[in-house]
Amino acid sequence: MQILFQRKKFIESDFIKKFSSDNKNSGAIFSFIGKVRPKNQNNNVLSIDIELYEKMAQVQIKKIINKLMKKHLIDDYLVVHRYGRVKPRENIVLIVVASQHRKESFRFGEGLMDWLKVKATFWKKENFANGSEWVNQKEADREFIDFSL
Amino acid sequence: MKILYFAKLKQLIGKSEETICIGQKKKKVSQVINELKKRNDIYNFAFKETNSLQYAVNCEYVDLDFFVTDSDELAIFPPVSGG
Repeated sequence: MQILFQRKKFIESDFIKKFSSDNKNSGAIFSFIGKVRPKNQNNNVLSIDIELYEKMAQVQIKKIINKLMKKHLIDDYLVVHRYGRVKPRENIVLIVVASQHRKESFRFGEGLMDWLKVKATFWKKENFANGSEWVNQKEADREFIDFSL
Repeated sequence: MKILYFAKLKQLIGKSEETICIGQKKKKVSQVINELKKRNDIYNFAFKETNSLQYAVNCEYVDLDFFVTDSDELAIFPPVSGG
């Protein structure tokens, strides 16, 4: 049960392999990776800068996890989120969940990602050849939220 | 009270944090912002659309009517965009 924020780029398989080995008695391992797209509306993205309010992000993600754990029975979870400069095709976020059966992991992982998008205090700025632009939160990101949690 | 600014707001104001004194009385977040807006055109512009910003006190989301004191940490920022 771990939440990691790091500047350093990571290889997802390193985390997933260890997580799977640590949870050898689980019947299901779910993983999700969010990556930097090399293009945004036909503009080449050179890099993105991710700003983080670390203390609040920890508090908010833990709150989300506590809510989800009351609803979905899981064995373990891991969240890795990068901050600082991230290049196209690199990983931004990794979520790994272990449970006895697949549905708990799927639902927990999806719910965690949905809530993270609207509550965790990260901000992305895309850097292009001709300038930079802060990324706005998408209305669609709020549509998926199950506010009944 | 410590105030933290993030992302575009930090860029507009030109600093990531500052400390202000609001005295012994509690004040609403909206009152704190109104006082900041009076400082100069930069603050006035940065807080032009207060409804499009988000507010947190001691790491919990709050609205503009929430009361704060000098011992609180107020964070102000645009909607988050991580993940």
